[in-house]
Amino acid sequence: MTSSLLWIAPLVPTAIGLCMLLVRNPRLLGVLDVGGSTVVLGLALAIASQVDAAGPVSAAGILRADELSVVFLVLVGLLAVATSVATVGWMRQELAQGEMRADRLRYYYALVHGFIATMLVTVLADNLGVLWIAMEGTTITSAVLVGFHGHKHGLEAAWKYIIVTTIGISFGLFGTVLVYGAATHAQGGVQAGAMNWSTIVALSHSLDPGIVRIGFIFVMVGYGTKAGLAPVHMWLPDAHSQAPTPVSALLSGALIKCALLGILRFHTIARGACGPAFSEGLLLLFGLISVVVATPFILVQHDLKRLLGYHSVEHVGIIALGLGFGGRIGVFGALLHVINHGVTKALTFLIAGDAINRYGTRDMRKMRGYLGLAPWGGTLLLMGAFSLAGAPPFSIFISELMVLRAGIGAGHYVAVAIFLVMMIVIFAGLIHHVGQVAFGVADQTADRGREARWPLLGMLLLAVVMVLLGVCMPAGIDRVLTRATEIVLG
Amino acid sequence: MSPEMATRLIDDLGALLLVTMLIILASGQLFRAIYAVAAQAVFLGIAGAVLAAATGNVDLWVIAGITIVIKAVALPWLLIWVVKRIQMCREIEPVIPISVTLAFAAAIVMLSFHLSASLGPVRQAVTGNALPVGIALTLLGVLVMASRKKALTQMVGLFASENGIFFVAMAVSQGMPLIIEIGVILDVVLGALVMGIMVLRVRSTVDTDIADLETLKG
Repeated sequence: MTSSLLWIAPLVPTAIGLCMLLVRNPRLLGVLDVGGSTVVLGLALAIASQVDAAGPVSAAGILRADELSVVFLVLVGLLAVATSVATVGWMRQELAQGEMRADRLRYYYALVHGFIATMLVTVLADNLGVLWIAMEGTTITSAVLVGFHGHKHGLEAAWKYIIVTTIGISFGLFGTVLVYGAATHAQGGVQAGAMNWSTIVALSHSLDPGIVRIGFIFVMVGYGTKAGLAPVHMWLPDAHSQAPTPVSALLSGALIKCALLGILRFHTIARGACGPAFSEGLLLLFGLISVVVATPFILVQHDLKRLLGYHSVEHVGIIALGLGFGGRIGVFGALLHVINHGVTKALTFLIAGDAINRYGTRDMRKMRGYLGLAPWGGTLLLMGAFSLAGAPPFSIFISELMVLRAGIGAGHYVAVAIFLVMMIVIFAGLIHHVGQVAFGVADQTADRGREARWPLLGMLLLAVVMVLLGVCMPAGIDRVLTRATEIVLG
Repeated sequence: MSPEMATRLIDDLGALLLVTMLIILASGQLFRAIYAVAAQAVFLGIAGAVLAAATGNVDLWVIAGITIVIKAVALPWLLIWVVKRIQMCREIEPVIPISVTLAFAAAIVMLSFHLSASLGPVRQAVTGNALPVGIALTLLGVLVMASRKKALTQMVGLFASENGIFFVAMAVSQGMPLIIEIGVILDVVLGALVMGIMVLRVRSTVDTDIADLETLKG
């Protein structure tokens, strides 16, 4: 029963995406979009509760849901629902402004669902080859979405995105091949499921450390490119800022986390084969570089969506740092940060889209008094910004604190010191930027229209999760995260 | 075919793959680079056939066939079609001088062989010198992409890089599972199509090479 759910989960958005190609009515497309995403979230929650109750489920040795994948699965489902609800109002605006042509709507919606389907396969894949194929699938579908408007900037960003991440994850494929080679060598021949993560992890202690080490470096660089880890993040601020707003939210909130799951899968294999020090050291290095590299760009940024893009680089870095510091607290904190950052970043991207629409510019120096124009949106923007900057009582504060605690516990004092300094600088920079947007008096030219209901509903859904996770930790989430931590630590 | 024979043939084909890669790196003309990457894919297909004969794995015959049809015929044809369609300048403008690029290439090849020589008994899992050749091809493909400005040359570099991965994937154990190889090739084809469409769209709307757009900064 549950194993068939694993197949149904990616098939639903695929089927809906294909149906959408036949539909021309914008209203019906919107209904299909929201309905499809809701079914995806429902399926994700159903799989999650099954896994929570009865442990990992496998489907034909190709797909598998364990506590680790469930974390990412529910995140993808949640963001799919929130963005599709927000899309209803966003799309009306785009059509009214002539940004989106009515006859091309169906391609947009179909691609979004194709994108969601490939992300679902990525998080549910057990076979490492399937993981790679789905990951490249996310690149292809989302690259078309990034350039969907057909503007010069959008196409430039889309090109950079597809070319850099395709070459990047072809490194991931190389790493996969090497690990597969090590696994078949250890088994003394090709056996059933030789490419499956669950099989390889079980025999990770007998794998040749030399080849796994090279394989992990390739995977780290490859999937790291896709995750937006510096120094291979160059495409991220472009793609995430130029994409249509709901797609930005999905890219920053969900997709880069899917790539992190890919790294995590290989991290567990490498931990077994070469001991924890090697892959943790590499994650620590990439994480620290990401945090440091993102900081100056956040400070001097004037483009609101680019600011959020660079901020994603920083937060992916924090997740990598948590995994690199290791230990139960570090990994738990990193996984919690995956959820927290995904939810918060999607929220802020949706608000940023609304703000950019109202002012007709992305330049934060020309945005003033957003709180007056859109009281709800402005409040959510301030909450989101404080959350992103790591202020209590929001959820990100807790996960960042755990990452810090893990770093101190593991004795990485230098890394912790650098991390802390960067956090303070970023806090000041982000609050400065967002404060300027939120307060003051808006230009006469700014759009003072009432806030649209649907985007607000999508944002509120995310905001509720963000606030709730800050003040309490539901027992179910705690249980799943604890077990996911155990999976990572072997 | 005896395993020794297969190993020798794979080594020879690996050398040919490296030579085609050097032609791509050194070529000043886009068409020459495209033909070289097509020739590389033909050698890759032959390597697949050799390994199929040596291991008796039927899947590898299929993979060899697909490789030749897709990577040696369809993708180069797509590239040439795009070049003719946009009537672009066919000279390649290197960002760094070709002699410097070739020096880098020599260093990368030596590094790859050195790296793979440091591996222990697990090298037996990969036939012959496929591993160092594969690593070298993958990195050299990135070098092609980094040292050229034109979108189509970047695509050539990408395909060449992927050829290196396919070479190792064939030579590892008995090749990857067929269904995975087919999925990977499908992704490669879809990705190439999307890239081709983007190049054409930019050419038709703003009349420049998509890789020359440099408005997004900071």
